[in-house]
This record gives sequence, structure tokens and C-alpha cells, in this order.
Amino acid sequence: MLHAILFASALALGGEAPAPVIMTGGEPEAAPKVVTAFKAKRLYLGDGRALDDGMLIVADGVITAVGKDLDVPATAAVIEHDGVISPGLIALSSSDGAGGELYDSTRIALPDADAAHAFRPASHDFARERAAGITAVVLTPDERSLVGGTSAVVKTNGGVVVKRGAQLALGLSSAALHDNEFPTSYDGALRELDRLFDDPEGAISKAAAGNLPVLMSVGDRAEIQRALAFAARHHLSGALRGSYWAEELAPAIKASGFAVVCDPFDVGDESRGARSVKALSEAGVRFGFGLDAPARHPDCLRFAAASCVRAGVDPHVARRALTGDAAQIAGVGGRIGRLARGLDADLVLWSGDPIQLSSSIEAVYIDGVRVVGGER
Amino acid sequence: MMTPGLLLSLALGVGAPAAGTYYADVVYTGDGQTLERCAVTVADGKITALTPGVSPKDDAVRVKAITPGMIDLSARVANSPYSVEETYEVTPDFRVANTLDLFDVTWERHLQSGVTTVMASPYDDNCIGGLSVVLKTGGAKDVEKRTVRADAALRGAFGSQPSSRNHPAYGAPDDIFSRRPTTRMGVEWEWRKSFFDALYAQGELDAGTKVLRRALTGELPVFAQAWATQDVRTAVFLVEEMKAEGDAKMRLIVDCGAEAWREPELLVRSGAAVVLAPYDHDGRTTDGAFYALESAKTLTDLGVTVALSSHYAAGPGSVLGAQAGYAMRGGLTFDQALAAVTINPARLAGVDDRVGSLAVGKDADLALWNGTPFELSSRVVGVVLDGDLVVAPE
Repeated sequence: MLHAILFASALALGGEAPAPVIMTGGEPEAAPKVVTAFKAKRLYLGDGRALDDGMLIVADGVITAVGKDLDVPATAAVIEHDGVISPGLIALSSSDGAGGELYDSTRIALPDADAAHAFRPASHDFARERAAGITAVVLTPDERSLVGGTSAVVKTNGGVVVKRGAQLALGLSSAALHDNEFPTSYDGALRELDRLFDDPEGAISKAAAGNLPVLMSVGDRAEIQRALAFAARHHLSGALRGSYWAEELAPAIKASGFAVVCDPFDVGDESRGARSVKALSEAGVRFGFGLDAPARHPDCLRFAAASCVRAGVDPHVARRALTGDAAQIAGVGGRIGRLARGLDADLVLWSGDPIQLSSSIEAVYIDGVRVVGGER
Repeated sequence: MMTPGLLLSLALGVGAPAAGTYYADVVYTGDGQTLERCAVTVADGKITALTPGVSPKDDAVRVKAITPGMIDLSARVANSPYSVEETYEVTPDFRVANTLDLFDVTWERHLQSGVTTVMASPYDDNCIGGLSVVLKTGGAKDVEKRTVRADAALRGAFGSQPSSRNHPAYGAPDDIFSRRPTTRMGVEWEWRKSFFDALYAQGELDAGTKVLRRALTGELPVFAQAWATQDVRTAVFLVEEMKAEGDAKMRLIVDCGAEAWREPELLVRSGAAVVLAPYDHDGRTTDGAFYALESAKTLTDLGVTVALSSHYAAGPGSVLGAQAGYAMRGGLTFDQALAAVTINPARLAGVDDRVGSLAVGKDADLALWNGTPFELSSRVVGVVLDGDLVVAPE
């Protein structure tokens, strides 16, 4: 099984897509194309659109066509799904398979630390996520570091790294302030960050030059203000990590051009978190959801989206936040997150709408390989 | 918690220039004048006229009394452990302005109680904590826009607080608290060493030394927490020593001077001003210091400039107007008490060109009262900030 998956990933190398890094063994070998046609009552495309009675064709792990009444190659296997197909869900800010490995307490700034080297591909965390329809996660350095290193976008199957150096993680919240070591204050932290960005090296140079998005962890409203002012001072772009207090500042966040990685939700969370996401959505801010797995159950990802819809967020926007917008925020929108020609065939076959809590998962495909669901 | 008036002002967008007339049976200007049946006219954020002896116009907001918006130099608006950089015990160029949270509810509480200007200072866990800032308590959620005076004072602390977390070198070697003063004597030594080093520094000066130099020349007042008698004495002795060594224009403002009343002659001799601790808990304060109710009167009568503060007070004591009432109970006259919450703190902070009294051309910051100010039965029912009615009387 593992071999087959790696094999499929290797074949996905063609075209413009960035080369996946295979983190475990397995020799790619030549093979005829494997073509599958999926038909469903409804496709959610991941960009906010839906297509009823749609089809998609997958060849060797890559989507080659999406539409209605497509020509199905004679060799293709056909899967008729009496339900909904969406792109695989993407969890932003996670630490699957890397518990405790994403924070180095001996240094406050480790810009060139790389989360792609921190995780264990065979971790059971990934199996739990696949079962929840999550096909990619963004492993993110911890918010306790001023400069935590770069995040990595990882498939939840086979140790495939979609992108290394996805975002540079910066700690602008009180979590990066310490009780008995530098920095203990916001002013101290900002001065150190200003110093690092005024004379940049390594990954900080890339971020300062606009070639690497930053992911700034924030908590309260003053922290959001300080983070946006810091980003403006150094001409940075990227996303804020933390949405709970964003409600009043949604227009300011929109004006900054920053996206938001929304805080994970637990069922029963008080309503402010959802109101903030609604305000961000109304202001036109791009957002996705953090998960902080494995601390949280993977199902919390779509629960978060559902909670926001209940608070008034447009369901199409909420579905996009789980897929296409999350991929954009992580800088991998050309590779995953949508049902579109040329993108990886990461699919979830649902009984109904993904943000309906009563919907269940019937099968999950990653790079065209079924990783969840029984034989058909 | 919000009054309808505050909600309205938020909905309309705080900071929009507004014109208006506020009428009171008595207007106390804060610099000694009492104007009866007086209209205060404001436009574009400034006071444009004070007209006594008139009848109220229909569109005027009418209250019993108007005073200047009050000023609290020791307000509890930045007292978070994140408002001090404890990696070093002396951080003169630390800016508390970068640590403020304007969304904190304490700003609104100050504003609603008629305090329109405050000085925010670094948290007092360092010997020399850094630079204080004077800013308005309302308006745009933007520190820069609210700032009346950046770098208004060099803040530090004497007494037990700066050494309270420190210990000799044992345990975890990476603990920053294993190498800082553990006694009052050590705290004073840190101060004195910093000033002497700054005074005699050669070559290119670092940012901290430049700030210390500004304090040594009197450009920045030294605003030092000292509750107990020994700490008030230490502050005065140190500044006197530095004046003799350097520039006689160096200025000292003792903050939280609960026991300043025990050393009045010393304060007169040194020319130091005093921001008094709030009267709370029957006069029992920090560091075992006892705050006598007649402190403000004793010091004022001797010519010491006195300002009142709310500092850490809880409950009714946290309302600055109530502190003025306590000071009057201790013997201060009404005019003296009013000055101690308006023009005196404005002068000490160097912002009396804009705030602290009611005069044409000054900022239109008004406290609107439903009775005689500082009486137990009176309270602030409305507030005008930069010409905007941000808290409307019912």
C-alpha cells in the first residue's frame, strides 16, 4: 500500500507543479497511466463554486479535467458517487507527527529552521486526519519563538512534502514573551525583530525581500495592531495566525493585505471567535482555519467552518476557507486545494455537504490513491 | 458598561471635529478661576470661548459644573508584566508606548470617570524601566494619534519592587533573575552607576545613555516610584548627588510618595514634586508605607507641587475625582485639590500648553459634573474629549 502511494506521488512530478520531496524510501518505476473518472451529484470546486452532476478525470494522481459530460477514456475506471466530492481539506497551523519538535526553547530566533525536517511520516496523527478528510496540513513552527523558522505543507499520506519554506513564522503575541529570559516585553520583542529585519540573513532576507510570506502569531487586539505596524515597517506580506480578537480590526487587516489563519474551534466555543471570522469574511479578508492537531480532533476543522456558517459566514466562503483559500495562504494554490485541471487529485467523497455535521466521509483520495474508504 | 453616549460617539467615528456649547452653573478653569453661569464653546477640538454670566442656549449640553478633564500621571493603563524588559535591570530607552493595549477596558474606565489624559509608564519591575508617554484616554485606537507627549519622563523605581523577583545565583543558570539587585541598596547602586556612567561616557553614545543624558540635564524629568520614607529619601539624595556632579537642572518627580509627608523639608530643599499614592485601604500602602490623609495639604502648604493619582487603587479609590475628595478631607482647599488633578500634573508632564486648564486655544477636554466636583454625592456624568462629547450626560 505504502509503495503504491509513493509510486503515485512520484509520477505526479510532471508538468509545472513543484517537485514533491519524498521523505521515505520507495523507487519510482515506469508504468502505464492509471485513469479514473469520478462522477458525483455535486462537486465543490474549492474556489467557492459548485458544479451539480459533475465529473472529474484523474490520470496518475493529477486532475486532468473537470466538468459535465466529459469524455471518459475507454481504459478509465469509473466511480459513480451518490453524493458530494470536494477537494481534500487543508489544515493550517498544525504539528502532526512533530509533537514537541516545532519549538526550540534554546533560541528565540531560528529563521532557517525547517518544519519539513521535524515530522514523522508514519505518525498516526496523519491517519486520523485522513479519516477526517484532511489531505494536507501546514506544519508550523511554534508561536513561542520570535522567529520560529519556516512552515512546511505536507500531505497526510506518504510523507509527501508539497512545499518547504512555505511561510516564515514570527511570534508577535505574548506567547513569545518569557518570564525569565529575553524578551519579557513587547518593546523588547519588537526591537529584536526590527533588528533582525533591518539587517536580514537567511530566511529573514527572503521575507524582507517579499519572496517569503510571513505568518505572524497574534493574540489580543493590540498585538494585531503591533503586528500589522511591524509588517508595514518592513514591507512584509502573508498571514496573521490568530483571529479570536480580530472583529473590530477586520477593516485594518483587509487594508494591510494580510490573510488570517483563524484560531481552531472546539465545539461549544463562545461566539466571539465565530463573530470575528464573520467580520473578516465581510471585510473580504482571505482566511483559512488552523487546527493545532494533534491537540485537537481533526473533525474540529470542519466544525470550525460550520460554526462560522452558523454565525453568518457564507457557506461557499467557509468551504473555500477549508480548501482553496487555505492553499493560497500556504502558497500552494497551484498544486492543491481546488478541483481543477493540473492539480493533485486530493479528493474527499462525502455523503453530503462537508460543512453539514451530519455528512460523513465515504472515501478519501490523495494523489489519486484511495487512502480512506472500502473497496469499490 | 458603555453609556449610550460613548456608543454613539463610537458609531459616529471618534475624532471627527465637532463644534458645541457646554453650559454649567459653575465652571472651574483649573488655574484658579471660578466662572458662574458659564458657557464653554468648543470647535475643531479646541476651546474657542469661555463666556460667564449668560443663560444657557437651547442646544447647549447643560450640567451643574465643568472642570478640565483630569490628568492622572500614575494611571493603571500599562501595568502588565509585558510592559517592562526585565532582561536588564536598567533599560532607559525602553518605550512603554510600544506595549500599550488601547482596547483594554481600563482606558474607558478612566475616560468615564473624567480622566482625559494619563501618563503611562513601564511596569516597575526594573530599576530604570524606560520612557513614559502622555496620552489621551479616548479617541482613535492608535497610540500615535492619542499621544500628547512622547518620551515625557524617564521612569524607574526604588523600594522593594525592582529587586523583588531577584535572587542570588543558584538554580537554573539561564534565569535572568539570578543576577540582579536583591536589596534596596543594590537598586540604588544600579541607578547611581547608570547615571555616573552616562555622565562620563565618551565617544558615540548608545540609545540608553542618550536617554540618561536627557534626564541628567533636566530635559526629561526622573519619574521615580518611592512609597516608603527611605525610598523617598534615596530618590532625593541620588538626584541631589547627580545635580552636584552634573547639571543642577535635573528634575525629580516622586511617584507613589505615600510617606513623602514624613520628609517635607527634604522635598522643599530638593525642589522635587510628588505624585501621591491613592488613598485606599485606610492609608496602608505598598512597602509598609503609611499614607496620611493630610499629605497633600502638608506638602502643598510648603510649596511642593503635588499631583494626585489612582495608581493601583481598586474600587472607589480608583476614581481620581475621589482622590481629590480625600485630599480635601485631609485639608486641601477645593482649588488646590482641583489643581492637583489638572494643571499640576499637566505642568509636571510638560503638557500644560495643551491640557490641564480651561482656556481659549487649549484642547477641549472637559469633565461634566452633576454637582459640586469631588463631593461624595457628585460624579462625572459627561466627558468631552478633543471637542467630542464622548460620554453624554443622561
